[in-house]
Amino acid sequence: MKLGFSAADEAFRQECADWLNAEMAGEFRDIKGITKLTASPERRKEWEQRLGEAKWGCIGWPVEWGGRNATLAQQVIFAEEYARAGVPGRVNHIGVELAGPTLLAFGTEEQKQRFLPGIAAGKTIFCQGFSEPGAGSDLASVRTKGRLENGEWVVNGQKIWTSLAHISDWIFVVTRTEEGSKGPKGLTFLMMEIDQPGIEIRGIKQINGDAEFNETFFTDARCPADSLIGAVGDGWKIAMGLLAFERGVSTLGQQMAFRNELDELIAAAKANGAANNPLIRQRLAKAEIGLRLMRYGALRMLSNTDHSKIDGAALTYKIQWATWRRNLGELAMDVLGQAGEVAEGSEYEWDTLPNLFLYSRADTIYGGTNQIQRNLIAERGLGLPREPRGDV
Amino acid sequence: MDFRFTDDQLTLAESVRDYLAGTHGPEVLRRLDSEGNRDPAIWQGLVDMGLTGLLVPEEHSGLGLGLVEAALIATECGRACLAEPLVDTAFVAVPWLVRRGEVAELGAIAAGTRKVALPHVLNPWVADGADEFPGQPLQSVDPLRNLVMFPASGSADPHLLDLGALMSAAQLVGLAEAMLHQATEYAKVRTQFGQPVGAFQGLKHQLASCAVAVEFAKPALWYAAGTLECMSSNTSVHVSHAKVMATDAAIQTAETAIQVHGAMGYTYEVDLHFWMKRAWALAGSWGDRACHLKRIDQAVIGGTLPIGPEHTFA
Repeated sequence: MKLGFSAADEAFRQECADWLNAEMAGEFRDIKGITKLTASPERRKEWEQRLGEAKWGCIGWPVEWGGRNATLAQQVIFAEEYARAGVPGRVNHIGVELAGPTLLAFGTEEQKQRFLPGIAAGKTIFCQGFSEPGAGSDLASVRTKGRLENGEWVVNGQKIWTSLAHISDWIFVVTRTEEGSKGPKGLTFLMMEIDQPGIEIRGIKQINGDAEFNETFFTDARCPADSLIGAVGDGWKIAMGLLAFERGVSTLGQQMAFRNELDELIAAAKANGAANNPLIRQRLAKAEIGLRLMRYGALRMLSNTDHSKIDGAALTYKIQWATWRRNLGELAMDVLGQAGEVAEGSEYEWDTLPNLFLYSRADTIYGGTNQIQRNLIAERGLGLPREPRGDV
Repeated sequence: MDFRFTDDQLTLAESVRDYLAGTHGPEVLRRLDSEGNRDPAIWQGLVDMGLTGLLVPEEHSGLGLGLVEAALIATECGRACLAEPLVDTAFVAVPWLVRRGEVAELGAIAAGTRKVALPHVLNPWVADGADEFPGQPLQSVDPLRNLVMFPASGSADPHLLDLGALMSAAQLVGLAEAMLHQATEYAKVRTQFGQPVGAFQGLKHQLASCAVAVEFAKPALWYAAGTLECMSSNTSVHVSHAKVMATDAAIQTAETAIQVHGAMGYTYEVDLHFWMKRAWALAGSWGDRACHLKRIDQAVIGGTLPIGPEHTFA
């Protein structure tokens, strides 16, 4: 067990901080401090390309594919410095953290050649087509159909909650390609270009007024026959492999953003006197503990090098951070009191803390609800019997 | 930062776990409960494994290991619901004496002939301190805990409090894991409505929540052990984190485990109550939850724990 980082790591930290701070003080100063995921999309695409040019876009990838083969500690440090410098979240998070690692693990040489350079350069933005109106927690019940016709895949159906589909270039889609199949069997994982007549995207307005996710409709949408990752019928295996990457180092950057939210909340509580209330103080203290636990939990999860084994740290991570942040949103409203109900301007737009309260309601739902997480922990972690399931 | 342990650390913890699992099962707790709480043979076994000298420097015939190893072993003591005063003597008193340069008794402690219970102003009672503080033995809620009142002369040293709180947290983590294991195994075999009760979300989600609490208390404990070992900045806050989280995990797991056992959980016949009562006793020892939360809130809001982006995760 080691606390802290080596001298070489600290030198790397300085290198990251210097570069990021210079960018945020220079050409990209207009996007510094943006927290809303949908704000300034064109500038943020340019930022993705800047990251790519300077080889900071996907530092964990192998060098031959545009990465730096960075160690775990270096990835942690970069994520920390990225958030500390006030750089906005990555609009190509899905490409860098999910599509890329999936291609590296399961793609053919030709597919790697086709996609990885574009993602590494920040020029190919990806989104994820998994959930459907009838396939939420029960992800395996997808109904979007794919069939091979004249050397092309033809896709019909609907995906939902596709974050940033409206600014993306590509979508990976889990489709049912075996007629009459049920559950995880008969699914195929396809990469599709979004800009085509068969794909229509409609935004979904969220409770905070923003619209970061979408409905995505497929009507005879097409992609070449060699657009599948893995084999026909391997879709579930590939999708599950991809979801394992989701517990990646990006969670550490997320924690820096949470740190900023908690610090802002503590400052607000001191400013309006709420910090004098012992009940509020105790909840702030618990929030502080929870954030540190989250960091330890992520580092512990990431330092497990045996990825074939899902350990207790990995199983319990999502529910812990999601619940922590939802509680922080509730605490924010209690700290703000009635002032939390009132927007600054005339628009339905919210400052960080009220937005935290609204946005964090989603945290315990997306990526597996708290209830699904508890099923997984109980069944995979504790070995309890499975939920009784209906006929799929 | 890296939460992996060395092979030596893991082997050590595993050997203690195996030894206690083989020699200190529930039947031993029941025998001690009916025959007088302490058994010299159990103590000698711990001495023979070198555990009483774990933190004693090598020049005083100890193993000269550190607080991280001690925390791992204290966790195993909690898991086995060990009643002998190994943790108080060898993992709380020894490092405190070593740091103060009081080495006279270390050899005897390592040899197992001397047990030490240190009083602190926050602990009105001490366990297994009858030699130093003769007086009326007190009945603890934990039937295997030998409590006595000590004269009002306890130390107010925060370092001693940190050591005691850290090692209580370590035992609480082990107790929580043991109770979670007992409840989970019971939920797999107890059937109602034609299936194991563990298949019902009403129970499995409660057990899953306990697993989350336990998993997140562990790294807080390890981090606190690491900072206390090297006395880095904000050590007391990290120890308080660990004590609060371990206490919450153990109490939540104890309550859940009783509920999962149904009416059986309320009986003296089921083993669970030994662990649950130890958890209850340790939750209030070396600073209760409110005391440690207060140390944290004073640091966070009072400004001694630096916050803001330039100090993040200091």
